[in-house]
Amino acid sequence: MILLQSPSRFLLQILKDRVVSGDKGVDIDCHTVEFDDVRYHIQFSMRNPKVMVLSVALPLAPPEAILHDGLPLGAIDAIKAAYGAVVQILDPPKDCFDVTMKINLTKLPTDEEQRNVVLTRIASVREVVLGAPLKLLLRHLASKTVAPNVDKLVALVHRPNESFFLAPQADKVTVVYPMRFQDSIDIVLATSFLQEFVEARRTAALNNAPSCMWSPVPPLELKGVNADALDANAGFVTFVVFPRHVEGRKLDKTVWSLLTFHAYVSYHVKCSEGFMHTRMRRRVESLIQALDRAKSDAEKLKKLVHGGSFRRLVCANINQTCI
Amino acid sequence: ANTLRLYLTCIRNTLEAAMCLQNFPCQEVERHNKPEVELKTSSELLLNPVLICRNEAEKCLVETSINSIRISLKVKQADELENILAKKFLRFLSMRAEAFQVLRRKPVQGYDISFLITNYHCEDMHKHKLIDFIVQFMEDIDKEISELKLSVNTRGRLVATEFLKQFI
Repeated sequence: MILLQSPSRFLLQILKDRVVSGDKGVDIDCHTVEFDDVRYHIQFSMRNPKVMVLSVALPLAPPEAILHDGLPLGAIDAIKAAYGAVVQILDPPKDCFDVTMKINLTKLPTDEEQRNVVLTRIASVREVVLGAPLKLLLRHLASKTVAPNVDKLVALVHRPNESFFLAPQADKVTVVYPMRFQDSIDIVLATSFLQEFVEARRTAALNNAPSCMWSPVPPLELKGVNADALDANAGFVTFVVFPRHVEGRKLDKTVWSLLTFHAYVSYHVKCSEGFMHTRMRRRVESLIQALDRAKSDAEKLKKLVHGGSFRRLVCANINQTCI
Repeated sequence: ANTLRLYLTCIRNTLEAAMCLQNFPCQEVERHNKPEVELKTSSELLLNPVLICRNEAEKCLVETSINSIRISLKVKQADELENILAKKFLRFLSMRAEAFQVLRRKPVQGYDISFLITNYHCEDMHKHKLIDFIVQFMEDIDKEISELKLSVNTRGRLVATEFLKQFI
């Protein structure tokens, strides 16, 4: 799986199983944690079989990313728009969570395909809630306007205590990511990956993709931002998004891609390290085999004599003469 | 690339000359038998160390004594990425020194990886095959590091292309 998928497989599986089970089934009370500190809690009780309760906790927001009632700007409206009557928001949310929703299973479409579409959308609650302010800004870009009352530089949370920055204008939106990694090896691998992004963008096939730049120092768009938010050990990546990238059906995909860019790079850095370990282990095995060849036949025979019987010794001799 | 062959041939010839090891019980302590090249206490038991340089970045130090020989390698590290790949890979190997028998757990100061070969190893294994192994090891390290670097760049290109393709 190269690209990160928007619907959470955990949620989607639980929702689908519940719908398929119908009148049978057991009570569900499951917690899970996803990448970048997003937590889900889903509950179902046979005493109330028409309803499931889903709670979502979002990553801790840094000081420069402003929250409205503890949620990103426009999150409540986005939930209402995405789910309609199927979902009812519970206020206040459950303890230690940021939003709690009641899913009304009777309001799901009866047709299986349409129902799966709705369930998939519910499983993508992360994209709906966390991506709400980003979607607002990009929708304005699609209509070539700027939202009123919006700052020149907007900070949105995407990882615990870290944010990325947007400079919205009528004809383009500039997105800047300060890239931070904890491990020193991760930093070097990520830097080489990010430079590949710039190289890849230059190829003719990707001419219509958002333009992409990397710099080791904060770019000009971030002038005036608090120094804590600008500490990035793997440089800064800048994407420039144009209206053609957010028109029609592309809007949701663009929102998800931009929201999870850092997680995407991080995921592939880790995959790369895993692959390197596998390669190194294979190389070690082949080197040890080479060393075994250096051992003299007398030494190998000695080992056989100590461990084996006369018949094994004869077979070993025959094997060695045959080679 | 052609300097690699010359470099490896030079090292091979040096090792063939240097690897004449015999058992030598310790002169200072009764009933002890130590690799003299590690202790370096008695100068009559040591030969002159030989330093073979391919260029400023790559070199090989061969120190010989009567019962042991120590070979230290400094591996090419052109940029930051090769630097961490070499360090990661050589640390991976050094941690498995027990399996390799002739590998030293820690490289000598100033080098990336070291071998310690004693007379016991020479008794167990054929001398020319052991030298073959060392030279093969050096080639494999170089190959592995360039292949790791290539895999990182290829993966980076693929990851970037897939990401940017979504927007088109």
